[in-house]
Amino acid sequence: MINLRDKGAAIWENQGRFGRIGIALGAMTVAAALPFMGGTILNTPIADYESVLVYPIAMFVLMAIGLNIVIGKSGLLDLGYVAFFAIGAYTMGLLGTRTGLNTWEILPIGIAMAMFSGIILGVPALKLRGDYLAIITLGFGEIVRIVALNLGTLGRSEGIINIPTPPGIFGIEYRFDSHRIYYWTLLMLILLAIWMVRRLSVRRAGRAWESIRQDEDAAELLGVPTFKYKVWAFVLGASVGGAAGVFYASKTLFIAPDNFTLQISILILACVVFGGMGNIWGVILGAVILGYLPDRIRFISDARLLVFGLVLVIMMNLRPDGLLPRKKREKVLPNKEKP
Amino acid sequence: MSTSILSLKSVTMRFGGVTALNDVTFDVKEKEILGLIGPNGAGKTTVFNVITGVYHITSGSIDLQGKSISGMKRYKITKGGIARTFQNIRLWGDMTALENVMTATDTHKRSGLVGGLFGSPVSRREEKRDKKRAQELLDFIGIGEYADRLARNLPYGVQRRLEIARALGTEPKLILLDEPAAGFNPAEKVELAKVIRKIRDAGYTILLIEHDMSLVMKVSDRVVVLDFGQKIADNTPQKVQDDPRVIEAYLGVPEDAS
Ligand SMILES: Nc1ncnc2c1ncn2[C@@H]1O[C@H](COP(=O)(O)OP(=O)(O)OP(=O)(O)O)[C@@H](O)[C@H]1O
Ligand SMILES: [Mg+2]
Repeated sequence: MINLRDKGAAIWENQGRFGRIGIALGAMTVAAALPFMGGTILNTPIADYESVLVYPIAMFVLMAIGLNIVIGKSGLLDLGYVAFFAIGAYTMGLLGTRTGLNTWEILPIGIAMAMFSGIILGVPALKLRGDYLAIITLGFGEIVRIVALNLGTLGRSEGIINIPTPPGIFGIEYRFDSHRIYYWTLLMLILLAIWMVRRLSVRRAGRAWESIRQDEDAAELLGVPTFKYKVWAFVLGASVGGAAGVFYASKTLFIAPDNFTLQISILILACVVFGGMGNIWGVILGAVILGYLPDRIRFISDARLLVFGLVLVIMMNLRPDGLLPRKKREKVLPNKEKP
Repeated sequence: MSTSILSLKSVTMRFGGVTALNDVTFDVKEKEILGLIGPNGAGKTTVFNVITGVYHITSGSIDLQGKSISGMKRYKITKGGIARTFQNIRLWGDMTALENVMTATDTHKRSGLVGGLFGSPVSRREEKRDKKRAQELLDFIGIGEYADRLARNLPYGVQRRLEIARALGTEPKLILLDEPAAGFNPAEKVELAKVIRKIRDAGYTILLIEHDMSLVMKVSDRVVVLDFGQKIADNTPQKVQDDPRVIEAYLGVPEDAS
């Protein structure tokens, strides 16, 4: 099978500074222009095209980037990622309806709440490994949903209604049906998340995560404070999920426990695995494809989970590392070995 | 003559019914090369494992420069000045040789995740310094040209040496080498002996497990011999080689055969 990752990497590496800036700007322009493509072949017959761009696509991309820090970078199997999404969303719902705070003020609070619950979950859970960690996180995801289902303040199964939209900034109005505004805002959040992950990946944290993923005992014996960095991975993953949640609530204006089922965790996990664990571009591609296709092709929409399951099984057999596997192709050192 | 850097006192390590180490006492002196030998299953690797905190000893004590390290977290022991290599190579295969060493040099960084994220001056300075240091270490061990190669694609002998460079990356006072010459041909062994001496001459203290007798006897200042978890000799290479108990252990005369 063709190696897209290496092709892409080769193109990137052969560019000078300006070439790279050009590619980045081009990609951003294409992403930003997507809302205008509604009339083209991209159009989704199942649902409103522009709203599909916001949810699931952009939301999935954001969450997949967050989950990738946990699973792809650090190798920690988190099956309850939806919990952080829910915590962000309920923070928005609760504060947005009960206090005078607006979305932009609640955003950092929601992120902080998600990070805090990342610590609460991570500190005990990350002492465990592998399957045990997966089971605990799975339970956590369900617990958060069940708490929402039973707590009067959170509206029980009715959820929270009349959540306010974000107030306008820079003269831009957020009406609930102005999807493209939300979409562009989400693009900003996605860019921020990409920046964060890329930045961390090439520094100490990235190396620590990578060493933990590959051989945790060896990492600890070579001076990596493994526990601390695992908690960090959890907390950063949670922060991205929390941000997505705040924004989600402020877009749909209505949230209920049903929006935060295990299914979301599994879908986001599928995006990460399908796209290529540990490779941020792969993960984004995976989320775009898995977010988009069900609304593009009616057949998939009807049997969404079945099709996703099949795709994953096939992928695991044909391309176990995903569409765009994590690095590495080695750098070639042209002037060192050749005469 | 010189002070001891590490001392094991009456260290016993039991795994269920198996006594892997039985009342083992010895010192490692500053800037020496101490050989640790013994037949298969004698407990050599277990000595490394208890020193580095992989296992908690059943009884006894382990002191690094006079301070007890038993029960300490593993990464803190490493930070305290002890680093090791593994008998079965355990590099991070998906990282380059340089990154493997840099992960180890991170041990003593002051800046962490937040500094790295926002590119604090400390973080940037440390990153630059450690990259240079990691390359120096690779050059020092003689594998500098492999810096950008993935660890898993490296030739076997280079991997073994990369393990040593990585351990040195943590800036240890004491480095524990677990059979660094395993699988080497005679020429490679001669090379390695040179490297080991070079490391000592650079100011490190070395505890060396090695099965190749001629290699151990040649490079070690002193040799400790283990057999069935017990120390049976602790002397200069020459004296150890002539020790009847050692000879018996290696010839494998069963105790109940007489
Ligand atoms: N985690 C463990 N659980 C149970 N028994 C163990 C454990 N680790 C080591 N042992 C036992 O302790 C004894 C010493 O093992 P160790 O690995 O230290 O030997 P060694 O001297 O390094 O041998 P070799 O030369 O083969 O590497 C062996 O009998 C081994 O089976
Ligand atoms: Mg051994």
